[in-house]
Amino acid sequence: MIEDNALTGLIVGTLPDAQVSIHDRTGTRDHFNVTVRSRAFEGKTLIEQHQLVYRALRAALTDGRVHAVELTTIVAES
Amino acid sequence: MSEGLKEEIAREITSARIVVYGKGTKTAPRCGFTLETVQFFDRLGYPFEVIDVLENLPKREALSEMTDWPTLPKVFINGTFCGDTDILEPMAASGELKTKLEEAFGGAVSSPKATINLR
Repeated sequence: MIEDNALTGLIVGTLPDAQVSIHDRTGTRDHFNVTVRSRAFEGKTLIEQHQLVYRALRAALTDGRVHAVELTTIVAES
Repeated sequence: MSEGLKEEIAREITSARIVVYGKGTKTAPRCGFTLETVQFFDRLGYPFEVIDVLENLPKREALSEMTDWPTLPKVFINGTFCGDTDILEPMAASGELKTKLEEAFGGAVSSPKATINLR
């Protein structure tokens, strides 16, 4: 389980300009739809964009606070 | 992560042109996303291997660490990590996947084979 602001904090910790929107899919606060918009995605492949976010969430995914994330990444206009 | 596991994975991902780490086997997937991935490659008509890591937690952890990707299935083409069907489907739509697979299979044209539904 993790609160929205903690989840956002992990992502912003890696991608400081990120705009993050979170949807709790199951009401149990561990399965999320997460949309991240950042300039850091520019010039990166989709897989690299997702890896950036997963890297930011690694600790929470490893210790079980987050079980599943359906990720959408959007390149922000710079 | 143990060196042995790392070596095992390095060997496996180059043992076939397309390697899928998933839950269950090709004929008996034990997870909806693994099934989806098997069906995806069946449709494409290229041969692929599925390696079942459902019960092998140390290997799953090693794989996640090596790829910066926490979920299964994980797909490797020509030894390169390519994510899952969330990544592969847009790549298929853009034609990027076709190029990658033709490269991987040495430009050989393979005719799509019929998909046999085993259930």
